[in-house]
Amino acid sequence: MTDKAKDFFAAFKAGKMNRRELMSGAGKLGVTAASANFMLNAAATEALAADFDWMKHKGTKLHLLLNKHPYADAMIADLDNFKKMTGMEVTYDIFPEDVYFDKVAAALSSKSTQYDAFMTGAYQTWEYGPAGWIDDLNAFIKDPAKTNPNYNWDDVLPGLRASTAWNGVPGGALGSADAKQWCIPWGFELNSITYNRKMYDKVGVQPAKNMPDLLEVSAKLTKDAGGPYGIGVRGSRSWATIHPGFLSGYSNYGQRDFTVEGGKLKAAMNTKVSKDYHKMFVKMVQDSGPKNWSTYTWYQVGTDLGAGASATIFDADILGYFMDGGDNKEKGNLGFHAFAANPDAKAPTPNVWIWSLAMNSAGKQKDPTWYFMQWASSTEHDMFGARKMDFVNPVRASVWKDGDFRDRIAKSYAGYLEQFDASSPGAKIYFTAQPLFQEVTTQWAETLQKMVAKQVAVDEGLDQLAASLDKKLKDAGLG
Amino acid sequence: MEHSSRAERVLRGVLITAILVFFLFPILWIFLMSFQTNEEVLRIPPSLFFKPTLINYASLITGKLQTAAGSLDLAFMLNLWNSVLLSTLSVALSLLLGVPAAYAFARFKFRGSEDIAFTLLSFRFAPPLLVLLPLSLYFQDIGLNDTYVGLIWVYQLIALPLILWIVRGYFEDISPDIEYAYRIAGHSWLQTFLRIAVPLARPGIAAAGLLAFIFCWNNFVFALILASADKQPVTVGALAFVTASGIQYGQIAAAIVLSITPTLALALYAQRYLVEGLSLGAVKG
Repeated sequence: MTDKAKDFFAAFKAGKMNRRELMSGAGKLGVTAASANFMLNAAATEALAADFDWMKHKGTKLHLLLNKHPYADAMIADLDNFKKMTGMEVTYDIFPEDVYFDKVAAALSSKSTQYDAFMTGAYQTWEYGPAGWIDDLNAFIKDPAKTNPNYNWDDVLPGLRASTAWNGVPGGALGSADAKQWCIPWGFELNSITYNRKMYDKVGVQPAKNMPDLLEVSAKLTKDAGGPYGIGVRGSRSWATIHPGFLSGYSNYGQRDFTVEGGKLKAAMNTKVSKDYHKMFVKMVQDSGPKNWSTYTWYQVGTDLGAGASATIFDADILGYFMDGGDNKEKGNLGFHAFAANPDAKAPTPNVWIWSLAMNSAGKQKDPTWYFMQWASSTEHDMFGARKMDFVNPVRASVWKDGDFRDRIAKSYAGYLEQFDASSPGAKIYFTAQPLFQEVTTQWAETLQKMVAKQVAVDEGLDQLAASLDKKLKDAGLG
Repeated sequence: MEHSSRAERVLRGVLITAILVFFLFPILWIFLMSFQTNEEVLRIPPSLFFKPTLINYASLITGKLQTAAGSLDLAFMLNLWNSVLLSTLSVALSLLLGVPAAYAFARFKFRGSEDIAFTLLSFRFAPPLLVLLPLSLYFQDIGLNDTYVGLIWVYQLIALPLILWIVRGYFEDISPDIEYAYRIAGHSWLQTFLRIAVPLARPGIAAAGLLAFIFCWNNFVFALILASADKQPVTVGALAFVTASGIQYGQIAAAIVLSITPTLALALYAQRYLVEGLSLGAVKG
C-alpha cells in the first residue's frame, strides 16, 4: 500500500470522509474494490492498535480448533491483519460440524494442550465450565492490562452476553452477578419464520401472526401450493430439535423447561399451557410437516426450503438467509418474518444459538490467546465480517447500526432487517442452565417423536416425560 | 447334465436383473449425482436426464468449493492421500506382524496360546471411544499424538486381529506334512515358513489383507480423535461438504466415487484371492 493510499484509508477511519467518498477516491488512486476493502480493514486494524501494546506477545504461536462455518471463514479471511498487528502466528484445525463437538470433547477431556481456543455453543459450556475445561473470561475482560481500551464489551448485545455467562449452579440465572463468562459471543442466530414469497402469493396467504394461524396457513399451503409441504421444522432425536422454533414458540407462551424451588429443579413440561402448545405443534407437523420429519435436522429443513420443497420454516433466521442466496433454486424468493407464537404475547421470544469463542483451560498461552479472542470478537472484525462476508448475525450493537451492513442486507434479503429488529429484543437462551442439558433435550425430542407418530397421547407423553426427568434430576442430585 | 426350460432361464434372468438393480441402483444414482450441480440433484421430481458437468470433480481436485456462503477451501485430496497412506502402511505392518503370529498359533501349541490369540481378538470388542480417550492421554505423554506413526499403531487394533485370525485358520487347513518333508530335507523353521507355508497360504493372506485394508479405509473415529485436520482420512473429509449454508450433494457424490475407487480397484484385482481365501480359510474339513 502506498503512503498516500494509507493516509486516505486512515482518514476514513478517523471519520473525515464518508464511505462513498472513500470508494470514489480509492478508485481515482487506482485501488480496486477488493483491495480497497482489505486496505480499509487494515486501516481499522491500525486504528485498533493505536492505544494498546498488541505486539506484547510477538512470536507466539496459537493453535485454534474451528468448526467449518461461515463465521470461521470470515475470521480466516481477516486473519492476516491480526498476525500483522500482533506478530503472532495463528494456525487452525477445521472440522465439519457433524464431528466437531466430538473432537472438542475429546480434546478438552483429555486435557490436551494442542488447542488454545476453540469455537463452541453456549449450551456446551454448561458441561465444559463446571468440568474445569474452560476458563472464566471475566478475568481477562475486566483487566485493562490485558484488554485493549477500545474493546467495548458493553457493545455486545446484552442478551448474548448474559446467555454466555453462568454461575455454574444448576438452575442459576444466566448472566447473574456472580456468573462466569465461559465464552465470548461471536455470531448468533435467532429463530423466526422464513417463507417462500412466491408460494405465499400463489396460494394467497400472509405469514402467520401466531401459532393457531401458523397451523392454518401451513395446512392451506400443503393443500394448495401444488407439491411443497407447508412448514419445515426439525424432528431428529436430538437437542437440536428442541432449541430452534419449538422452544421459541414454547417460551412465547410463558413456558419453561424447569422450575427452580429451593435450589432444586423440577420438570415443567406437563402444565396445561405446555400440553396445549405441544398439541398444536404436533398437529402442525402431522398435517403440514415433511414426511420424514423424525429425521430432519438443520440440513434437511434448509435444503427443502432452498429447493422449493417446503413453503415455510420455523427455524434459524440465518438458515433462511443462506437459503435465499448461493445457488439455491429459491434464491431471492424468500421472505423473513418475526414470529410471536402466543396470540396474547406482545413480542417474539426467540431462543438463540450463539457460536462463541472459549479458552482451553489446559492451554499454556492464556494471555496471547486472549489477544486473539478479543481481536476476533472486536468491533473491527465483526464489522469486516458483516459487511464483506457472511458473518450474520453479528453480535455487536454498533455493527447492526452500520449503514453499509444494513444496506447490503436490505438490498439482497427482503425483510431480514425488519425481522431481526422485531425479534432481537426478546432474543436469548430460554433453557434452564443445568449440566443434564443434552440428556433432557434428547428425551424431550424423543417424546415429541412419539407424539407425532401417535404412539402416545400428548397429555400422557408429557406426564411421563416430566416424571422421568424428575427422577433423573433426583438421581443426579439436582431435583 | 441338468437342463433348464426356457421359462426357467427367463425367470432366472429377470430375478438376477432385479437383484442387480436393487443393489447397484444406489451406486449408479450416486455416480450420476456426481455429474450434476446441486440444483439438478435437488430437482423435484428427480430425473435421470441432465446436462453432465465435471465441476464437482474439479472442485475436489483443485480444493475450491463454491457454496451459498462463497468459496471454501477443501482438503479432500489430502484426505484421500491420508487414507491411502494410513491404510496401506497399517495393513503392511499388520501383515508383517500378523502372518508369523498366525503361523505360530496354527502350528505350535504352547502354554497360553489360545489366551493370547483371544486377547488379540478382544481388541475388536472394545468400543473405540472407550479406548481412545485414555489412549490420547498416553499419546500426548509419549509424543505420538497427531502423528502418522501413532495412527498406524492404533490402526493395528483394526487390522492385526483380523489378519491373525483369518490367516491362522488358513494355515491350519494346510497339511503340515509338506512342511515336515521340507524340514527333513534340512531346512529351518524360518525357511519352511517363508518358502512353503507363506506361498501356500498366499490366497488367505491376500484375502485377509484386503479385508483389513477395507476396514482401515472405512475407519472414522481414530484419526478424528487422535490427529489434527491435516491428517484426517477421507471418511472425515467427506463430511466437509455438509456445511451450515447447505449440503453439497454433487460434491459428496463425487467424493464417494473417488473414495471408493481405490478399494474397488483393489477388490476387483484381488477378487479371485478373496473368494478362494475366505472359503478355504473358513471351512474346516
